[in-house]
Amino acid sequence: MTWYETKGRDSDVFVSSRIRLARNLNDYPFEGRLDDASRREIINKVRSAFEGDGEYRFVDFSALPENERIAAAEEHKVSPEFARGTAARAAIESSDGAVSVMILEEDHVRIQSILPGKSLKEAYDRAASVDGKLDSKLNIAYDDKLGYLTHCPTNLGTGMRASVMMFLPGTVAAGGIRTLANQLSKIGLTVRGMSGEGSAADGCLFQISNQVTLGVTEEETISKLSDVTGKIAEQERAFRKKLAEKDGERLNDRVMRAYGTLMYATMIDTKELFSLYADVRLGVCLGLIEGIGTEKLDTILIRSMPAMLMRDHGGNMTPAERDHARAENVRRLLSGASRED
Amino acid sequence: MLCERCKKNEATVFYRESVNGKERSLSLCADCAEKARKKGELEDGFMKNGFFGGGFFDDPFADADKLFGSLFGVKSLPGAKTEKVKKCSLCGATFRDLMNEGKAGCPECYRTFAEEFAPTISRIHGTTSHVGGAPSAFRRNREQKEKIHTLEAELKSAVKEENYERAAQLRDELRSLRGESEAR
Ligand SMILES: [Zn+2]
Ligand SMILES: [Zn+2]
Repeated sequence: MTWYETKGRDSDVFVSSRIRLARNLNDYPFEGRLDDASRREIINKVRSAFEGDGEYRFVDFSALPENERIAAAEEHKVSPEFARGTAARAAIESSDGAVSVMILEEDHVRIQSILPGKSLKEAYDRAASVDGKLDSKLNIAYDDKLGYLTHCPTNLGTGMRASVMMFLPGTVAAGGIRTLANQLSKIGLTVRGMSGEGSAADGCLFQISNQVTLGVTEEETISKLSDVTGKIAEQERAFRKKLAEKDGERLNDRVMRAYGTLMYATMIDTKELFSLYADVRLGVCLGLIEGIGTEKLDTILIRSMPAMLMRDHGGNMTPAERDHARAENVRRLLSGASRED
Repeated sequence: MLCERCKKNEATVFYRESVNGKERSLSLCADCAEKARKKGELEDGFMKNGFFGGGFFDDPFADADKLFGSLFGVKSLPGAKTEKVKKCSLCGATFRDLMNEGKAGCPECYRTFAEEFAPTISRIHGTTSHVGGAPSAFRRNREQKEKIHTLEAELKSAVKEENYERAAQLRDELRSLRGESEAR
């Protein structure tokens, strides 16, 4: 079960919680200055740290077909940069899909853990346990003063990026995203839209992460991000309530129209899907639509991304073919939902 | 910046001088600078051969600090009289390379260019000191250092109080602890 298929804590606002740790090996140049032989060496060294542990599976990532690589980024198991690269790189995955170790992303090693809903602390514990495993077997680059030595100076110190994916349709409707972004930047946090736009076209999904990694402990970073996202969630719920009170009829109409489109449309492009997702997910959270959970909508969204569709289809498709397959996929997943009830 | 001579390699050696308020400079790659030096051009024939029309540098190495600088404000480069800009011993990068790439070349770069990196790091993070987690080996080391510190303080006060039995005991403990940390 991947994160999006499971209902997480406070899933009305919290979609997922993610931790990434950047680690590097001593005695090797950073990614970009490595020849193919050294890349192979690093991959084998990291792989050997997991040897004999049935919990983890090795994936020769660069040998995968392109659609499969991009699909892994679409389900947030690896970064888009990692998925696009063509030089030798590999990944190690936990059997429950929550942890993936990217070997030769920007850093030699990027440990990632992603869990559904509000679960930063748990995600950190998962990543830290893999970190401990690596550090007992490998010579990790570290400096008493600068902390973990990373390719980019922006990650020095803990080498940790904690982020929370939040669903904020109420804040978007109230026009509060820019203010939020300004406030966050003042306290060392950043907000990014799913596709960088920061609008309803992103499905009202926003990723909030720490900016600073040096001079703060892992615990401080996590507790700050938890506190702040908790406050954002409270505000978001207040905006939703106001929206429902002020213009409930129109909101209901909008939600049900989106729901109808999801159920009966025969062609849906990605952009439309994001906006339908946002409206229907909001309807589910407000109790306007019954019988489906937020995890169903998250699954529909992720599993309908372009490379995902092509991976499941087993080959490349034209945009029109994809829009058709997407609508079919959405219908199939939705009807699966009502059968369960 | 490309070498002015071969126009192929990155320039890593820079000559700069201000004459009558006019700033003039020459940027060469290590190879071309070396060649020029071997031919004796840089020593005396340099200007006569005419990079800048003669008479500019009478003795380019007379005052290395004044003539030799880098674009990133490295004040005086070690061994400037002979040749090269500082290079990382592991990956071979110069600090200029790193500034161009916006990233370090290898973990060792942070030690080689500690001074040069400091302002950038402090601009990004507002500090240059790590306070978070560490690999287990460093953690043990850190704990051990702290323990040695405490025992030393205790030993001092034991001696002061003329508690020699306790002092001897502490000394033994310290010896075995130090032995351990040296063995690492
Ligand atoms: Zn040259
Ligand atoms: Zn280096």
